[in-house]
Amino acid sequence: MRMETNEERQILCLGVNHRTTPVEVRERVAFPEAKLPEALETLKSRDGITEAVVISTCNRVELYTSLDVNEPAGHEQMRQYLVDRFGLTDEHAEALVCYKLSGVETARHLFRVVSGLDSMVLGETEIFGQVKQAYKVALEAGATGKDLNKLFQRAFNVGKKVREHTAIQRGSTSIGSVAVELAEKVFGQLKSCRVMLIGAGEMSRTCAQSLVSRGASSLIVSNRSYDKAVELAQQMNGRAMKFDEWEKALHEVDIIISSTSAPHFVILPEMIQKAMKSRRGHPLFLIDIAVPRDIDPRVNEIEDAYLYDIDALSAIAEDNRRKREMEIQVGEQIIEEQLVKFGLAGMPVRGAREAQA
Amino acid sequence: MIIDGPGRSAIPPGTLFFSMSFDRLLLLLATLAFLGALGHAVVALRKGQWKESRWHWLPMAAGFALQCGFLYLRGQDHGRCPMTSLFEVLVFTGWSVVLLYLVVGPAYRLSLLGAFTAPVVAVMQGTALLLLPDPPSPKIAPNPWLETHAALALIAYAAFALACVTGVMHLVQARLLKKHRIRALFHQLPPISDLAKAIRRLAAFGLLLLSLALLSAVPLGTSISGAKLTSTWMVWMLYAILNFLMWRHVVSARVISWMAVGGFVVPLVSLWIVSVK
Repeated sequence: MRMETNEERQILCLGVNHRTTPVEVRERVAFPEAKLPEALETLKSRDGITEAVVISTCNRVELYTSLDVNEPAGHEQMRQYLVDRFGLTDEHAEALVCYKLSGVETARHLFRVVSGLDSMVLGETEIFGQVKQAYKVALEAGATGKDLNKLFQRAFNVGKKVREHTAIQRGSTSIGSVAVELAEKVFGQLKSCRVMLIGAGEMSRTCAQSLVSRGASSLIVSNRSYDKAVELAQQMNGRAMKFDEWEKALHEVDIIISSTSAPHFVILPEMIQKAMKSRRGHPLFLIDIAVPRDIDPRVNEIEDAYLYDIDALSAIAEDNRRKREMEIQVGEQIIEEQLVKFGLAGMPVRGAREAQA
Repeated sequence: MIIDGPGRSAIPPGTLFFSMSFDRLLLLLATLAFLGALGHAVVALRKGQWKESRWHWLPMAAGFALQCGFLYLRGQDHGRCPMTSLFEVLVFTGWSVVLLYLVVGPAYRLSLLGAFTAPVVAVMQGTALLLLPDPPSPKIAPNPWLETHAALALIAYAAFALACVTGVMHLVQARLLKKHRIRALFHQLPPISDLAKAIRRLAAFGLLLLSLALLSAVPLGTSISGAKLTSTWMVWMLYAILNFLMWRHVVSARVISWMAVGGFVVPLVSLWIVSVK
């Protein structure tokens, strides 16, 4: 594949994403999927543009074109297209900060996008399908030709390779998502899991929110200040419980998140032993976010009870962060190897810059 | 390589390659396929690249197809179900284990179960190929009741074998969770609740099949030796207790897993008894 097919024709990319442009600007230039064929046609009707693909997701809007005009003129054509199509005022047009890429940088960028290396959630897989869909729409609309077909086909191959040979998606990097990941390894799906929040600290609330967002069926909130428990329970569609009653409900829940400010252990092994007898072999997952700790560490010695304190969760999140950093490097290396393989590396970087319009 | 037809003579233990019959060659290839599945899984796990994929089933399915070929040829040779010696009993049990894995694995999304199953089957078949004599076809008229009884019992034993393998996976995952060792294997192993459920169902399914096997032995009267029946009843008792404990939730999931793993010694001993007595 040649990125610049002859003296005049070249492949360019112009776009905005979550890093360069705030959502209130991005949303002004978002393409509804139903309008894409018509949008591609009008883009292609611009002077010199022979092929086009438009990627429009919640985090990015990118135009890829093969065109017969020189690079600055080509980028200006594409930018003006966005301004015209969405009727941007001068003020909005000024706020539209686009990156303008050409040559090997276009290929490198697209390879990174489909591999999930350019995503807000690193390594997410959804973008692969979204780019594939955008390409399919362009293909069916007859907006692609030899240049963009080659570029996108190779991008999909690279995306698959990066996912196959790295583990960038693996391992959560925040306390809340680590808690969810561990809970899923204990219970499988969280749909039937009941969660109890003892204490209403910010971190425990984040953890509970993560669990509820993954399908946990019910939430009990218990706090020394009952009013605060009621308030939090209402916010999270849960049920408030008086602080002197939570012990009686221990056997009813599958996940306990504790974050009180008590200077001593609040949950003792004998309480959990008693609760486990009623649980008929069903495991119990305990998260202790409090400092000093709320849950006696001996609880982890009880059969079918799994206890994680804040240090254990932080260590896992940190370890995952470190591994992801390594995986990003591996992913970038694969992309560079593929650029060499496709004869693209070493090409002059003509448009590798982010430009403010 | 000599390719034997029906009515072949006895083959001593460890006979490979140059004087190998076609059915034994199929068995050797099946064993290599299972070792390949294991090797692939180990390499993928070490690199942290194991993912749920239909490609993991491929070597197991290939091994299964080769096992089917072996059993078909033996069935043709004997004119009956090929379970006439410890050699064939081990192969038939291995075949049943893979069959159940191919059924259970997708249902529970347990493709990694193959990585744990493959070495068990490879060891069973390797033992048969390298250590056990392979006697000639017995000239016995087929008895449908006897064959039903034996086939049901061996598939039940295969279910117990798979429960044992799943038990190992449960013990490993539970330990990783307890010790906070969140490594590559942790991400690949299924949730402990799913594994516990799989153990319960496999043990119950095995017990049901073994009960049917014992019922089908009733019309056979005295044609099954006392030692065989006693050992089979012992296996039945063990798994009846295990099922009862699971049903009543008397012991923890970890103890159940240990029982599923350690208890499989009894069916193994029973296999030896029913094959040589």
